[in-house]
Amino acid sequence: MTEREAMEIAGEAVTAAKQAGASEAEATLSQARRFHVEARDKTISKLEQSTGATLHVRLFLDGRRVTVSTSDLTRESVQRALNAAVEQAREVAPDPLATLPDTCSRFEGDLRLFDSAIAQRDDALKVDDVLALEKMIRDADARVVNSSGSHYNDASSVNALANSSGFSAAYTATRASLSSAPVAQHDGVKRTGHYGTAGRFLRDLESASEVSRVAARRAVELFGARKPETARLPVIFERDVAAAVLDDLFSAVNAGNVAIGNSWLAGRLGERIGSDLVTIVDDGTLPEKLGSSPFDGEGVATRRTPVFERGTLRSFLFDTYYARKLGEQSTGNSNGGGIGPNNLYLEPGTQTLDELIAATPRGVIVLDTIGFATEHATGNYSRGARGFMIENGELSYPIDEFTVAGNFADMLAAMDAVANDLRFDSAVVSPSFRIAEMTISGS
Amino acid sequence: MLDQDLLNRLLMRALRHGGDFADVFCERRRSYAFRLQDGKIHEGSSAITQGVGIRVVLGESAGYAYSDDLSIDALMRAADAASLVARTLPSGDEMTIALKDVDVPRLYDEERQSHAPASQYVALLSRADVTARKYDPRITSVNAQITDELQDVWIASSDGRFVHDHRPMVTLGVQAVATSNRERGSGYVGDGGRTSIVFYETSTPETLASDAARIATTNLEAIPAPAGEMEMVVGSGGGGVLLHEAVGHGLESDFNRRGTSLYSGRVGERVASELVTIYDDGDIPDARGSVAVDDEGVPGQHKVLVENGVLRGYMQDTLNARLMGAQPTGSGRRQSFRFLPQPRMCNTYMPDGTSSVDEIIASTKRGLYAKSFAGGQVEISKGDFVFMVAEGYLIEDGKVTRPVKNATIVGNGPDVMTKVTAVGNDSRLSRGHYTCGKGGQHVPVGVGMPTVKIASVTVGGTQND
Repeated sequence: MTEREAMEIAGEAVTAAKQAGASEAEATLSQARRFHVEARDKTISKLEQSTGATLHVRLFLDGRRVTVSTSDLTRESVQRALNAAVEQAREVAPDPLATLPDTCSRFEGDLRLFDSAIAQRDDALKVDDVLALEKMIRDADARVVNSSGSHYNDASSVNALANSSGFSAAYTATRASLSSAPVAQHDGVKRTGHYGTAGRFLRDLESASEVSRVAARRAVELFGARKPETARLPVIFERDVAAAVLDDLFSAVNAGNVAIGNSWLAGRLGERIGSDLVTIVDDGTLPEKLGSSPFDGEGVATRRTPVFERGTLRSFLFDTYYARKLGEQSTGNSNGGGIGPNNLYLEPGTQTLDELIAATPRGVIVLDTIGFATEHATGNYSRGARGFMIENGELSYPIDEFTVAGNFADMLAAMDAVANDLRFDSAVVSPSFRIAEMTISGS
Repeated sequence: MLDQDLLNRLLMRALRHGGDFADVFCERRRSYAFRLQDGKIHEGSSAITQGVGIRVVLGESAGYAYSDDLSIDALMRAADAASLVARTLPSGDEMTIALKDVDVPRLYDEERQSHAPASQYVALLSRADVTARKYDPRITSVNAQITDELQDVWIASSDGRFVHDHRPMVTLGVQAVATSNRERGSGYVGDGGRTSIVFYETSTPETLASDAARIATTNLEAIPAPAGEMEMVVGSGGGGVLLHEAVGHGLESDFNRRGTSLYSGRVGERVASELVTIYDDGDIPDARGSVAVDDEGVPGQHKVLVENGVLRGYMQDTLNARLMGAQPTGSGRRQSFRFLPQPRMCNTYMPDGTSSVDEIIASTKRGLYAKSFAGGQVEISKGDFVFMVAEGYLIEDGKVTRPVKNATIVGNGPDVMTKVTAVGNDSRLSRGHYTCGKGGQHVPVGVGMPTVKIASVTVGGTQND
């Protein structure tokens, strides 16, 4: 589908919504062509390729808001769904803030989101990549005896938005990823390692040999792990785990959560909360990055928003509705149904992760976490974790079956070192960082 | 959705390069929802998910393609794309498939084709809102949502089976936030099943909302959870999350066929305390995790996973059952037509033991009473898991004392299962609306358990004494 065709379908849906009785309407059409191959050892275990489209329409009837989402794009079906939505709207409470954005536009810079090398890549090369990965993880370490699969994924998408204020725009984008999950066995214990790389451009992906090297290392490095003693210690969050912490923090700066009291940061704008090292930015305008786009889910131009500056909370992330509710401006963070991050990242520091470890006399480095227990209303954080004990600035022995816990406000205040290893392999990313003290709960 | 003649042609097209097996999964899902916020109906929504997924299986390989465009051309293209997994084979013999309707067990007590009048959903949300706010003046925010969904699936397989299932699903959830000075506590309670909103005449919005408000205000007064090893009493119902994470995932056949689970090749072995019996049932009427037939057209059924501590069997989908020389168990499930089926849990639970709840609590010197859970996660190969306590209390000298907040339990599945020292006589399926995520796919499940005592777990709080 071309951008023009997608804009036409979105435009027709807006017209149909108006005809059905909406006072205002907005339609988003997303079409994607997806490819996925999974290999295990010498076998192609999954080969998937598909094209699909979803139409998402928001209707406003004098402040009553309803949404319709459908993968059935036939005219009659869309019209029927829109007519039903107008009926449904009668039960919704009118809210004067529920209207289209006042101004819609697109970021005018060249974001370079589309890589023809991905769109035109020969399927055979993608298959070769995952078969090579499967071989390399086994060659990397004799204890790698199995795998949960090596994967290559890519997608080319067209995204169009039209609304009844006359805005109509579209963009195309690509993404690709390569990942592997080797399973190692040693002394009757199995362990899985995961590592992957992703980007909007094929040339941004790390090589298969790099992916296999890190994935295999992760599968074997924690053999012999023991449960640490319960203690309060400095904790280093390695890059990928650090990104998950930032993802949690996003929920607290999501203006939707702030407005309903489900954020520990509610009412604390302008307060100094973190240490000097806490500078967190949301930026939808970084060229070639996975979280970038010229406009958000309701046609507001993306921008750069400092969220924390040297520890001070500067802004929440808004769509139009919650910006009005809290007396602010949209930050271009609508994701259609709610509020989502663009590229949300912690500003990197200057030292390497190895230097950061060397500068930690005693502590813990967390390499992986499981669970998702953050109470956003209170900021209480707790995760199951694995990693290493650090003694005298060196990785001393592997540890697992413990939890790392604290409160987000205390954690941000105690962030005392940030590494330089930021990479943009997702919309929410972070360099490794250290928190001066958290609770490690083990034996 | 598609006529049998076209389904036949798609199956033959998909198998034109060969393959052991092919199926066509057609889905039409309609959902209808309202959300309440700030005491008002904030938003209404509806969604249609419609499309066709075509799969070709060859040995342990699966080719897959879906299309939401139902034109014959687009569907034939999808069949061609799925067939590519067998491309390296010489062309097979021309095959003929004669599709036959297969009866589906009647599991959901209704055949309705549309949602109820909008006003009925809105009334349920408003009742929840009023109840939560009245419960305690410290309740400062109430959010609630209700969803009613009807999913039709039609599955045609190259072995000639043609199956249709009509699956309803309702869910209602209430979140209450309590505020006092700078302290905040939140509580979430939901319920639902494969039925209609008549369900909420029994599990009323008043009960759900007052329980959410009670948990929120309790958490306001809760002390930080302790850190370190201690005894744990797992509450009945929602405690089943422990079984789901600590054992259930490890018994899904894909991990076991591939040898990546710690339970691989261990059927017949002792894997848990002899007090432990675990079932996974797909055929409990109206339950959230039930399927009259799974997403490969195999009837949902009662499965014995662990019996008196001994591993009895895995949960099988068609592909893995075929490779392992086993029978499919009605466990092949998918999030939607956009996904390949995977072996998944349905309603996982432990039946009654012999201890009374009072005995179990009284026998606990210092421990955590985990009454309900917010969810969990497991790592399959070694079996390490976590789960998060939504409502927890300290047990001191055999008595339930203070509420604690922010407790995460961490442990190793097989290790914890050997430490089960008492099983209560109060088994029940949990209220709630649990959703299980695996390989990027989410499916509704149920969990259940009696009150159970575990000799030692690690509680990951912040209070280190």
